[in-house]
Amino acid sequence: MERLVNIQNLMKVYGHHKSEQVAVLKDVSFSFAQGEIIGLIGASGAGKSTIGKILAGLEQPTNGHIDFDGTNLTALPSKERRKFAKHIAMIFQDPYESLSPRMTIEELVEEPLIIQRIEKNKEKRRDMVKEALRVVSLDPEKYMSRYPHELSGGERQRIGVARAFVCKPKLIIADEPTSMLDTSLRLELIQLLKSMNEQYGISYVFVTHDIALTKGFCDRIIVLHEGEIVDIGPTDDVIHAPTHPFTKSLIDALLLLEGAQP
Amino acid sequence: MRKSTKIIGAVGVGMFAVVLLFALFGPMVIPYDAYKQVGGSFLPPSAQHWLGTNDMGQDILAELAVGARTSLFIGMMTAILATLIGGFIGVLAGYIGGRFETFVMRVIDIVLTLPFLPLMIVVAVYIGPGVFTQIFVITLVLWAGKARQIRAQTLSIKSAGPVLAAKTMGASDFYIFRRHIIPGVFPLFIPQFVGSVNAAILMESSLSFLGMGDPTMKSWGSILYYANSRSGFLTDAWAWWIIPPGVCIVLVVLAFSFIGYYLEEKVNPRLGAYTVAPKRPKQHITTNEALVAHHIALRVENLTVQYPKNNAYTSVVSDVNFSVKEGEVLGIVGESGSGKSTVAAAIIQQLRGKAHVPTGSIYFEGQDVKQFSDEELRQLRGQQIGYIAQAAMNALNPVLSVERQLKEAIVAHAHVSKKEIDARIDEVLMQVGLEPKWRYAFSHELSGGMRQRVIIAMALINKPKFVIADEPTTGLDVIVQVEIIQLLRKLQQDMNLSMIFISHDLPAVLSITDRLIIMKYGHIVDFGPSRELAKTSTHPYTRRLIDAIPLLHPKKEQSYGATR
Repeated sequence: MERLVNIQNLMKVYGHHKSEQVAVLKDVSFSFAQGEIIGLIGASGAGKSTIGKILAGLEQPTNGHIDFDGTNLTALPSKERRKFAKHIAMIFQDPYESLSPRMTIEELVEEPLIIQRIEKNKEKRRDMVKEALRVVSLDPEKYMSRYPHELSGGERQRIGVARAFVCKPKLIIADEPTSMLDTSLRLELIQLLKSMNEQYGISYVFVTHDIALTKGFCDRIIVLHEGEIVDIGPTDDVIHAPTHPFTKSLIDALLLLEGAQP
Repeated sequence: MRKSTKIIGAVGVGMFAVVLLFALFGPMVIPYDAYKQVGGSFLPPSAQHWLGTNDMGQDILAELAVGARTSLFIGMMTAILATLIGGFIGVLAGYIGGRFETFVMRVIDIVLTLPFLPLMIVVAVYIGPGVFTQIFVITLVLWAGKARQIRAQTLSIKSAGPVLAAKTMGASDFYIFRRHIIPGVFPLFIPQFVGSVNAAILMESSLSFLGMGDPTMKSWGSILYYANSRSGFLTDAWAWWIIPPGVCIVLVVLAFSFIGYYLEEKVNPRLGAYTVAPKRPKQHITTNEALVAHHIALRVENLTVQYPKNNAYTSVVSDVNFSVKEGEVLGIVGESGSGKSTVAAAIIQQLRGKAHVPTGSIYFEGQDVKQFSDEELRQLRGQQIGYIAQAAMNALNPVLSVERQLKEAIVAHAHVSKKEIDARIDEVLMQVGLEPKWRYAFSHELSGGMRQRVIIAMALINKPKFVIADEPTTGLDVIVQVEIIQLLRKLQQDMNLSMIFISHDLPAVLSITDRLIIMKYGHIVDFGPSRELAKTSTHPYTRRLIDAIPLLHPKKEQSYGATR
């Protein structure tokens, strides 16, 4: 498989003055291939979301470089960097907050196409929006002219997925996309992401604190603890034979919950 | 929106319309030229001169109508200018940030601290009286406040979801500014404008009254100026010379205050949600002896809760029945909108203002909670029932130490010595697994799990026998979730608490509860002993919830068909 992303020695420090500097990421390196699904696991503050934000272009790393499909993203001027957004999309945690209440569903899903100047023709853009909505199993005729507040949380998150998909990206960063959803909808969303991976070969960086969600979905998982990778490997291997104490405690905690079940 | 607010808004618009019509058509209808002598001086009101005449024999009604044009023009003009200039600077400062923002904010601070009246006088004297001076000076004073507020709004939009999303799509700064910031901020310009018309009209009147207005133009302020300087107060003429322009000014200022009041509630609908709960007098409380005899700590009977929606009532909780025995843990599971939190709020009689409860009785230790007086309810909440509210851990007071907040919870219910309070705080902190040294900490110094422990400590500090925990594990990491559940379980067993545990997180609920209620759209759709329910329930909704739990080590492939 072709290598899609290669992250080398990624570092992120917040705070200007030395005394108040906090290193959120300390020397993180990993790579993955086109079509691979990577789970980033960790407690809050572990730095998992920061990696996602850096990949999506929301944050600049303090140090290190990211190689995307043969291009060093960190060396690009911001104007050039922005063009890569058509290859790297993001799905946000909060389906209520991340969709502008003033825009219709059509405008929301269309926005990446306009920003990236992918299609000038309004009718063709509309067709692409319709296709994206069909991919996430929402009827375009029914949804295009509606506003986010008329939709349920699960539907909104699907809009978020359609918006991420509309440019046909190679990689989607999904930052805790299920955490605001009800339990019964979580699995549906994961299944949707999985089917998009199988059909279009889209890679995911799936950021979550719930290791159980990665089972059967992620090919490999990376466990982060205090800004460092403490465990990395195929999902089942890490779950069955965790090497680091933090990973162990994470899995023990889940098993304890599972133990209570029939 | 409250009806009273709409009425206030309508009255404001009506008052302004009257003044506006007077300004537009008054000078055409009134048969006198405001600038010419049309009668004797100091004529009292009569059929010819409704408001009499002034010392020069000019018709005061005509003066008022002409003055209305000047006053309204300067008021509106400066309000528009101040809002546009302030808004523009505020948006730029908020969006660009960095040094530019710091610089602008310091300038704003300086402008805001300048005493406005002396400043206006100095500037006005320097550039000479006139309409331009008035507009210039008033705008100079007014823009800073607008800039500050618009900047705050820009900052919040800048870090909001839609803007972040656009950034991940590779949007340029200009695009974000045009497509997200401006449409987000612009609606706020209108209330800002309405708010500043008030101030502008008052300032215009003050300036004119001080003689800084255009001497060749009449305005309400200048009528007052002449009335004052030509001894209007010494004769009977003040009644028709001074009161009418004063009334006009008050009318416009009030009109815009009313409109502003209406707009503020429209922009921020939460303002209207507040309603005062009716007083609950002390009355005899009937005790249901059967419940006491069967050790039923809580009984909820036929509870229906409705909220008004589009002139009708919709039920968010429908005909819910359940009991909690002493020492039992009952789980209420449901997805968002299932009514589970509303049930909890109904138990402690703390439903949101507009709730309507057509049927339902709640018996706490056999007593009908509906009959509780305000004071008895206060004792129920926090004293007899410990309530761990949803997301409470994010609502700790940031400026009070843990100790202070725990102390508040005690003092609200009992008069105890300082020593006892201290001892109790140490004790309860130990119980929730926090070392006593954390009593001095502030909420920002604590992790999410520790804050949740403080909230649990608060709920337990008055030694209640009953605890309601609403989503106590939501928003916590898995490891911390497990710790909190284990803690609650241990506390429940040690103190033999009766408990209601509300959550949408089925694994968490299954691991702590004895019995389970599944709610959907306000109805109880399934119930039974927790483990049995999870294992054998055939209700499709329950099955769907249980099958959706991701498992690390599924006992079988994740399909539960065989267990049926």
